[in-house]
Amino acid sequence: MSQVLNIQDGKIVTVPEVATIEEIRDEIREVKTFYLSIDNREIWSGFKYKSGQFIMLTVFGSGEFAVSLPPSPENDRFHITVRTVGKVTSALHALKPGDKVGIRGPFGNGFPFEEFKGKNLVYVAGGIGLIPLRSSIVHALQHKKDFGRVLVLHGARTPDDLMYKENLKEWQSFEGFETYITVDVSTPGWTGETGFVHTLFDKANLPIDNTVAFVCGPPVMFNTVIGELMKRGLSDENIYSTLERHMKCGVGKCQHCAVGRTLVCTDGPVYTYRQIKTLGEEI
Amino acid sequence: MTMFLIKKSDVGKIAEELARDHQVYGPMIEKGSGQTFFDRADDVSEISLSAPIPSNPPKSVVFPQMERVLAYEYDRPKNSVKIEPDYKVEPKALVGLRPCDLAGMLCLDRFFMGQEFVDEVYLAHRKKMFIVTNTCVAPFKQCFCVCTDSGPAASEGYDLNLTDLGDEFLVETGSEKGAVFAAGLGLAAADDSHLARKKKIVDKSISLFEDIAVDSKAWISRVMNRVTTGFVKEEVWEYIGDQCFECGACSFVCPSCSCFNIADVTNPECEGCADRLRSWDSCSYEGYSRMAGGHNPRKPVEDRRNKRFFCKLSYSQMKKYLRPGCVGCGRCAWVCPGDIGLPNVVTYVRREITR
Repeated sequence: MSQVLNIQDGKIVTVPEVATIEEIRDEIREVKTFYLSIDNREIWSGFKYKSGQFIMLTVFGSGEFAVSLPPSPENDRFHITVRTVGKVTSALHALKPGDKVGIRGPFGNGFPFEEFKGKNLVYVAGGIGLIPLRSSIVHALQHKKDFGRVLVLHGARTPDDLMYKENLKEWQSFEGFETYITVDVSTPGWTGETGFVHTLFDKANLPIDNTVAFVCGPPVMFNTVIGELMKRGLSDENIYSTLERHMKCGVGKCQHCAVGRTLVCTDGPVYTYRQIKTLGEEI
Repeated sequence: MTMFLIKKSDVGKIAEELARDHQVYGPMIEKGSGQTFFDRADDVSEISLSAPIPSNPPKSVVFPQMERVLAYEYDRPKNSVKIEPDYKVEPKALVGLRPCDLAGMLCLDRFFMGQEFVDEVYLAHRKKMFIVTNTCVAPFKQCFCVCTDSGPAASEGYDLNLTDLGDEFLVETGSEKGAVFAAGLGLAAADDSHLARKKKIVDKSISLFEDIAVDSKAWISRVMNRVTTGFVKEEVWEYIGDQCFECGACSFVCPSCSCFNIADVTNPECEGCADRLRSWDSCSYEGYSRMAGGHNPRKPVEDRRNKRFFCKLSYSQMKKYLRPGCVGCGRCAWVCPGDIGLPNVVTYVRREITR
């Protein structure tokens, strides 16, 4: 090989690990949670990830897609939560407990949790935007003493679209955790709030000083929420989000997930809003 | 580095010798069309060291247009899965590679192998490759490698480098592998006087480039500055985007373009079997950034077009390649039906600067 090549001890992740679907739970319409474990016990026991990272999931005979990891890195059952949006996710939904899938990863940067110690954490999630934030929320719950106020604000289209309903109840009852829920359109029997998620900010008496906000949801909700947070004085470097892009390789080679000068798979998926603004692309 | 001389009538021996244990690739003039293609030579005597720049870069030798990377079989009755990396790697020798194309390959090397993750398949191909470059003595109309620091003479990354001195070729070795191979040919040694002749030939070659490429060294670097710092107006990208046919030809003929797609293709003859294939992709395609569900963050063509030129001309990409992403081969300018090859894009961006 030529002397100009400088191969560092780069990682090679081409072949997925075979995993088994242990259990499948229905969440909301078109959304299911899949509890998984990697078959190779040695690899499984060493399988570590950070909040905010993602994996590439292979549905055999169909393809591979990038999916966020909702479980906390510690003491939480490993799972993914997936909505049917296309060919491969539909094939995944057709699988049964006991069926095999493939896992590559974890990939991506994850949330820099060390920097959040002693701060207030505000989670603003629209619809299934709660999925990528769940890991971080549960992590905060497990280490509540490290943080100030912790608020979860979740908005969904209708009461039937509220994500992780059981978790929401659990979080509501957890001391020091503040959970606020709203729906865009109420249905008969709904006694909670109606309105977009940012309308909860006043009610929640949103902290601004010494605060980090996590925003995840559809682009329209994202822009509105960010605008409102900035108006209230939260600086762009304290607003975090995870971006979603078409991904193929997960390791910074296929370039499909390029945003601005970064790649979502290796430089993201976690970005601060300050970074997002410099990317010069649509969210 | 050692230097040797080989008679013009004997230069074909290099390819012959390499053909003993390599598949040999080189520039060959296609009968009939008269076009040069860089392809596998079944008969190494067809390789022409004086042929015009090949229409295609040597990229497909190390990064095939479509390639199986792994195969799996999901045995449903037994509920077991067998997954194996599955790709063919043969020792390959590239004879008569242009310096610009070598620069393109070095971009791919650093991109695929020099970062946090290493591309296993590319690495396997690359390890078994022997590279013989050929100094460009006659640039073509679209060539601008002098602006992108990639020619007309190769400076690094080759095993052997040839330079046509008239009646003989100067053979320079650039690697251990190259030195061992050259020593085995039993050639006469060359000295500094031959190197001086090479320098004259390279200087003459540089003088043959189009004025714009030689007179204005800042022609491209000024645009790199603009693209890196984001000082290119939206209207310029829109103007460029309006001319794009979204055909992807520029990506396919580019020696340093490496975007690929991955697809699992099932085998109709084997239940549960599938091959994972990867194939060249282009950022100009509408589906390139479209996500499942239909959301496309880069719907307008100009949003996708500027991405390509960002890749070729920005400093952030240079950090990955350790050189400019454009190698100045001029192929995109040949093939683009909308006439927005890189030289024209540079001109449009510059026109905006000077206006």
